[in-house]
Amino acid sequence: MIFEILAASLDNFLKFFLIIIVAIVVAQIINSFLNQYTIETRLKNENNVVKSALLGLVTPGPLGLYLPSLKVLKEKGLSLSMIATFITSQTLVGPLRSFIEVEYFGAVFFTYRVVFSFFSAVAIGIVYKRLERHLEPKDTSNNQSKAKR
Amino acid sequence: MYRRINEIYVNSLKDMKRILPLFFVAILISTIIDFFVSAELVYSVLGANLLVAIPLATIIGMVLPIPRYATYPIAFTLYLKGAPLSVVFTLISGEVILGAPDRDVMEFKFFGARSYILRFVLCTVFVILGGYLMEFIL
Repeated sequence: MIFEILAASLDNFLKFFLIIIVAIVVAQIINSFLNQYTIETRLKNENNVVKSALLGLVTPGPLGLYLPSLKVLKEKGLSLSMIATFITSQTLVGPLRSFIEVEYFGAVFFTYRVVFSFFSAVAIGIVYKRLERHLEPKDTSNNQSKAKR
Repeated sequence: MYRRINEIYVNSLKDMKRILPLFFVAILISTIIDFFVSAELVYSVLGANLLVAIPLATIIGMVLPIPRYATYPIAFTLYLKGAPLSVVFTLISGEVILGAPDRDVMEFKFFGARSYILRFVLCTVFVILGGYLMEFIL
């Protein structure tokens, strides 16, 4: 039984091996052109949830890499709605997973997920815009009011 | 140009070293599910009543302690065993709502509890709605 499970797993793994290699290399190529600095520069003065969602969709790599930069951008004035939109679309879809997803579930499924994730991110951004002033962390708003005084 | 190619090559190798073993483990888990979990059980839990199955799949996705790309083999096995595509959609999308603990702590700390909770709630609601919508569209 164990041998059967291992053989079936290995067989399945080899079926997807090439596509994963291609996915990893393509993700790295995108990463080299659309690196952290490029994302920061493009996001810095952004005030459009649609653009922020699009930027999130094409951004590769783990979100953890971008969070410190987003924090700095927020301190420099980037709104929370832009950040929430970017985070949402960045986490829901990624270049690496797109290859694996198409291979497993087909292009229609992938397209639906991309389109739906994009609209969800935009909708979340709009909700954030409406609630923005209630969402600021307490310590930040205290600091801001102190600074105003 | 040469520097960029070298960077892509080195980073790709690093990623392969990190991703391929985890992907194999995910495939191993999916094979174990394939061997030991019956299609009837999968259908009764994730296919028979979509009103319950879609939110349930979202929660399962959230608590699965595996990386995003490793969800696919498991979701595919469940699909072959009778889980509908809408359930697969919510499982895969739900998996990314809650990230790695370090990512969530960073988001919580950097942007505040209210922002984190609101995004979490909205994402969950949208993923569940997306699942129901998929059931109508596809």
